[in-house]
Amino acid sequence: MATNRRVFFTGAALGVGAATLGTGIRQASAEEVTSGYPQRFVFIRKSNGVRPDEVAMPTFSEADKKRDREKEAFQIDLANHELPSWMRPLEAHKNQLAVLQGLSCKMSENGHWSYSSVMGAFKSGRNSLSGIKRATIDFELARLSPSPFGHVELSLTGNYSTFRTGIVPGYSAPGPHQRNYCYADPQTAYNELFKSVANPDAVASDNAMLKFLQAEESYKASVLGGHEKRKISNHVGSIESIQARNLEVEKMSGSIAEHLPEIASVHLDGGHNATTPEKQKAMTDVLVAALVTGLTNVVTYTIDELSTPVKGLPGNEGDHISLHELGHNGGYSGVAANEIREKVRAGHMDQVAAIVEGLKAAPEGGGNMFDNTVVMYFPENGEGHHSHGTEAPFVVLAGDNCRLDIAGQYIRFPFHANEGHKTIGNWYTTLLNAYGNPLPHYGDLDLEMSRKKFDQVGAISRLVV
Amino acid sequence: MNYCMSPDVVCRFIEYRRTTVVVLGFIAGCCTAVLGNAVVGNAVEPDTLFRVPADVQAVFRDNCIDCHNEDVAEGNVDLSRISELGSSERFELLNKAQEQLHFGIMPPEESVQLSSVDQGKVLKWVRAELREHGASRLEDKLRKPGYGNYLDHDELFSGRHTHLQPFTYDRRWLISEFIFEARFNEILSHRPFKTIDGKRQYVIGDNNRRVNLTNPFLLPTNTGVRYYANATLNGGHLLTMLTNAKEAANHMLYLAGRDRRYVPAIYEIMDMEWTHARTLADREKFLKQFIGTILGEMYGEQHVALLPDFKPVVIKSSDSTGIKKSPFHAAQPGAQELVVLFHSMEKNRKDGDSDAEWIDKCQRDWFNQGDSERLITTRLTFLAGYLEEFREQVVRHRYAKKHKLPVYRPRADEEQTEIENAVRENRKSGDRYVEIINKCLDQWRVQFQNERQSVGVPAQETIGALVLQLYQLLYHRPPTEDELVKYGELTHKYLGQLGNLAGIKKLIQTLILKTDFVYRSEFGSGDPDEHGRRMMSARDGSYAIAYAITDSSPDSELEKAVAEGRLNSRADYRREVKRMLAGREQYYVIDEAVQRLQLTASITNTPIRKLRFFREFFGYPQLLSIFKDNKRFGGNYDNAKGRLVGEADRLVDHILNADKDVFHELLTTEKFYVYHSGDNAAMSASSQRIRDIYDHFKGVDWKNYTSDDLEVHAPFIKEVKMRGMGRNPKDDLRTFKTVMTSFTTRFDKGQSAAAPFDSFPAHGKSNADTRTGLQLRSPEVAKFFNIELDDWNYPVVQPAYVQQRKGMLTHPAWLIAHAQNTETDPVRRGRWVQEKLLAGTVPDLPITVDAVIPEDHHRTLRQRLDAKTEEAYCWKCHQKMNPLGLPFEIYDDFGRYRQNESLEHPDNLLKKGPDKAAPHVDLRDTYKTLPVQATGTLVGSGSDLLDGDVTDALDLIDKLDRSERVRQSLIRYAFRFFMGRNEMLSDSRTLIDADQAYVKSGGSFDAVIVSLLTSDSFLFRKENQH
Repeated sequence: MATNRRVFFTGAALGVGAATLGTGIRQASAEEVTSGYPQRFVFIRKSNGVRPDEVAMPTFSEADKKRDREKEAFQIDLANHELPSWMRPLEAHKNQLAVLQGLSCKMSENGHWSYSSVMGAFKSGRNSLSGIKRATIDFELARLSPSPFGHVELSLTGNYSTFRTGIVPGYSAPGPHQRNYCYADPQTAYNELFKSVANPDAVASDNAMLKFLQAEESYKASVLGGHEKRKISNHVGSIESIQARNLEVEKMSGSIAEHLPEIASVHLDGGHNATTPEKQKAMTDVLVAALVTGLTNVVTYTIDELSTPVKGLPGNEGDHISLHELGHNGGYSGVAANEIREKVRAGHMDQVAAIVEGLKAAPEGGGNMFDNTVVMYFPENGEGHHSHGTEAPFVVLAGDNCRLDIAGQYIRFPFHANEGHKTIGNWYTTLLNAYGNPLPHYGDLDLEMSRKKFDQVGAISRLVV
Repeated sequence: MNYCMSPDVVCRFIEYRRTTVVVLGFIAGCCTAVLGNAVVGNAVEPDTLFRVPADVQAVFRDNCIDCHNEDVAEGNVDLSRISELGSSERFELLNKAQEQLHFGIMPPEESVQLSSVDQGKVLKWVRAELREHGASRLEDKLRKPGYGNYLDHDELFSGRHTHLQPFTYDRRWLISEFIFEARFNEILSHRPFKTIDGKRQYVIGDNNRRVNLTNPFLLPTNTGVRYYANATLNGGHLLTMLTNAKEAANHMLYLAGRDRRYVPAIYEIMDMEWTHARTLADREKFLKQFIGTILGEMYGEQHVALLPDFKPVVIKSSDSTGIKKSPFHAAQPGAQELVVLFHSMEKNRKDGDSDAEWIDKCQRDWFNQGDSERLITTRLTFLAGYLEEFREQVVRHRYAKKHKLPVYRPRADEEQTEIENAVRENRKSGDRYVEIINKCLDQWRVQFQNERQSVGVPAQETIGALVLQLYQLLYHRPPTEDELVKYGELTHKYLGQLGNLAGIKKLIQTLILKTDFVYRSEFGSGDPDEHGRRMMSARDGSYAIAYAITDSSPDSELEKAVAEGRLNSRADYRREVKRMLAGREQYYVIDEAVQRLQLTASITNTPIRKLRFFREFFGYPQLLSIFKDNKRFGGNYDNAKGRLVGEADRLVDHILNADKDVFHELLTTEKFYVYHSGDNAAMSASSQRIRDIYDHFKGVDWKNYTSDDLEVHAPFIKEVKMRGMGRNPKDDLRTFKTVMTSFTTRFDKGQSAAAPFDSFPAHGKSNADTRTGLQLRSPEVAKFFNIELDDWNYPVVQPAYVQQRKGMLTHPAWLIAHAQNTETDPVRRGRWVQEKLLAGTVPDLPITVDAVIPEDHHRTLRQRLDAKTEEAYCWKCHQKMNPLGLPFEIYDDFGRYRQNESLEHPDNLLKKGPDKAAPHVDLRDTYKTLPVQATGTLVGSGSDLLDGDVTDALDLIDKLDRSERVRQSLIRYAFRFFMGRNEMLSDSRTLIDADQAYVKSGGSFDAVIVSLLTSDSFLFRKENQH
């Protein structure tokens, strides 16, 4: 049996998603299509942890402050509160904002880094390929919301001195033991994602190559029979499906051209002279355009990692700041580490707000694209620079059509290893269940919860619409 | 083709299975769990030509319709309306029926059974119907690894089938994840080294390349045999390979530019372009370094007047009071920038200058150069904050020697004139240097491009050489005449349309994406023998041998044998296989994941696939994906697990290297590696060293030592290089007492020797090293073996005797790999024994079964499991697993021996253990316990003398060890591993020969491999059109 289109894309989704070519357009089955518009998800990973008190509302009553400090479960309407100063860029979107406090991530890697594990809820054995136990949550969601690229991963990482550039190994995983590709600078992301408009000659030459290969392998298959024929036919079928996918992207050229972001010349050749805020802004522009054009519905963006150099930060323009050193309380040019940490986070919030606003500016149905989007900003490793994984605060922005009862709420779950406690596994299960994957539980279980025999399986039912 | 059975063999197999296959006995409802569910086509219209023959209809009517009709469609199967179905639904139904009957699942055990005649009628018709439309899935299923044991073991080894002529079908075999890595390492000239036993060794399997490739050819994670020739490339593979091909092509062009021997034709085609690029790079570097001097000489006094107006940047002053300042290493702008700063400092600082004066001169230089305001701000901010540290860095790292200030020397006359002309042509008043340089470069670029365009597309001869060389590099063979023509034309087209660089890259991508690259070939050649078999071609044979024993393509000896016509007979194969098995000059990384954990040295010089067979057969590396609780382990499990797998590998390797009674040793050895590098001499010396330290101080009151007291022993401490001492004198006393406290716990009970683990974690010198010269970490590995680190007569020579252990099935790595996160898994352990050692079969778990053992913290796991599975419905399958797995209940889910089972539940907590302590301390909480009951039953050993009740795992293992069937089962798995397929009845002779080779050689696994790789099953191929 030759590979047909559906088999191909199923294989693609289960196999590996090369960021440049994504996981393919899968013909969505009836159960996958749960609304008329694509459902979008943006995961924004940050390093150095998020300290739980950093996302606490400054206007909490004393009683609530105490409950928050002592990690007691409670829920509060954000409408009645001021956001912490670094989160102010989200003020205009407060009715769609949620803060999830008390989710633990001890089943993923903690300490400095989590690599792929925080989005897969497994221990990865540091950054080992064989430690990747399952497809990460973003890839699972991408399967529920198919698109030409399937999934796009972006990152701003480096080696403390310089930024990584080009196409590099990512953190997301399309499947067990598989590491995704990732665009490491805005210009590369632009070149690859919007190639059909930005560089049609390259697309044409790719298509010509595929056509040659199709003819070549088809000829081989024609003289074979049985299982051997199937091997070659599958190869041909795969080539044909990629050609079909390319054709689909080409058809979107009009939309892509309309929304093509402008990338400043400072980002050429990897953008070694660009400041960190400049890189972040350009990456945000690419991210929004990738969603608005419909090239992808799921983006994972590592906005920083401990080795990301921070250059050109407002107030510390001349400093070459190490995020790792901030974690060890090192200050720069007379500015204390905590203050710089806050500025870094504030810069992140500018980008989150820009993503939300970019999507709100794009009409969809009677509303806008953000209506069908969930944006998550969260620490890759937990509650601090050297995290133990007991807390991983999530800042979530959920559009009006999202299937989560979450917007406008500050929700603190019971602390780790207590009855009713929730893990990132529960949170990811919630997302999957809400968007059409009914699996009982996503990710590994928390072993201390297991040891104490607390129930910890499944979605957080109170968050599901 | 890689059908596991020819039609005639399948037919005979089915005939004989009808009488011998174990009836698996599932109820009708479970059938969907066993069956696949792929849809063959999309037709929905009933096929008017389809008819069920009258005799088959009669069988349906008399035996099946009662349970499979419109109203009662057990297992969602309705036979009453089969004629009304569209072809896709009908094929689906017929496939279900075929498999149910073939595997003996239907009718269910409790129903009236079909007569063999009736069963034959239905099967014959179903098979014919499916075959006619090419829609049968049974053959696919029988090819899968999990179905190998469905071929009856006794028949295979009965000797009644040795007249059948063994063969393998001609086939393409998708490359494995290991071959993918080795191929690209070779193509991309990635040759990593490691220091092993003090010598620098080239290793295979360390895949940390500079090129970012994603491996799409991942093998399944099952235990047993993972790499079968059945797999076909799918869309996921190809998508990934598209990106891989681009990345690889980019790097290959880089390599070709660096070394003209890599692919000479690339160099030849690119020579002019690369020469131009080098010229441009050289001129750019020259100008960037010396443009100020050049302009000064060219323009004399006018030069300054042409410079831009200087605009200084202002950096803010800071008040750092009370602020912790980041250290130099966390604030420095990178190695390259530090050199720029050093050169600027050297150039501009004159005697008597204040810092402000020379920094100002630097700033003017940078401004004239054209550096951005932000970059200048960054440099000035850095110098303002870290000037003293920078000066120290300059001295400490000998910048003056390593980074000498370049001295201006004009280029040769013609080149200098060219450069000066361009500068003169492009310089405008107020230009900063970088603007002048960029204008010059643009001018030269256009000039060079025109030169290249005038040359045109390379000559046909050069293109032919390119195709030939790339074929050799990527496929290890020259192109055929046809290929040469076809790919020559393609290359000409690519180069013409895309230019040389992009055209060559596109050609490389095309070649990498062909089936020739992703599949290995094993085809017969020459005239067929009287059985229709042809011997594998010498070239394919060389690959088949190489990939059977290693992950690499044929070595030079094999290549030579092919070239000289010395790989054409069984004797030739024997010679090469024996040679390769004996080789120990090549080192391999066994498992990169293990290597990453706590610096574990995961290395071997045993031909890697020999060791990998047993790794996959036992499946102990699967431990790595099992997430376990440090608290329940009583120490740092995450740290210890890598060492545990590494030491299991070492034990297997040790037994393989002795190559005597290998199966017996693997199943029954009582000697293990526990916190040991594998180097007995080094471990003895390490242990003796800490003993010397302990002995030196044990008689003195070191606990109350002052720094002065310690100082007296400084010569001794220096001589023995006591770890952690001498770096920071003020910490020495504390470090000394930490070390002595730790050493004392290891010696004060009269221990014969102590494990030389470190007393505290730190970088640098360790008390013991791995064979790769790194710290030997994770002594807590001993806890898996019930060994207490503070009461251990450490055996410096290993493997060494460990109590209550017998072979790999009692190795904690195997036990954990076959356990759950928080408890043991007797079902999984029993299933492993049933399938891997007894050549038995266990049906897949029916989807209707809730396979969860109920919680009850007043009962042991066994009691809970028994209550769940002893119901008749469950027991039909569980009788094949539980009695074989429950004997292993003498080991907990960490592989620790036990007589009592801890009832881990908060209600049963007796005593809380500490949360953090030294490695020798047990952190576990203490719970109420119940005695372990570990009796079981062995059935299926093939011997009435051995079958029967067993007292525990050690008793079971003794009996398994004496079973011929167990030995033969291992041979069957070895066959599958080295052949990449399930055995057929026609392989009976091969299997018997391999078994006898093992027995007659005194248990040599090498003899098994030689026997298999020189068998007809390996050497002879048949064409297959099915």
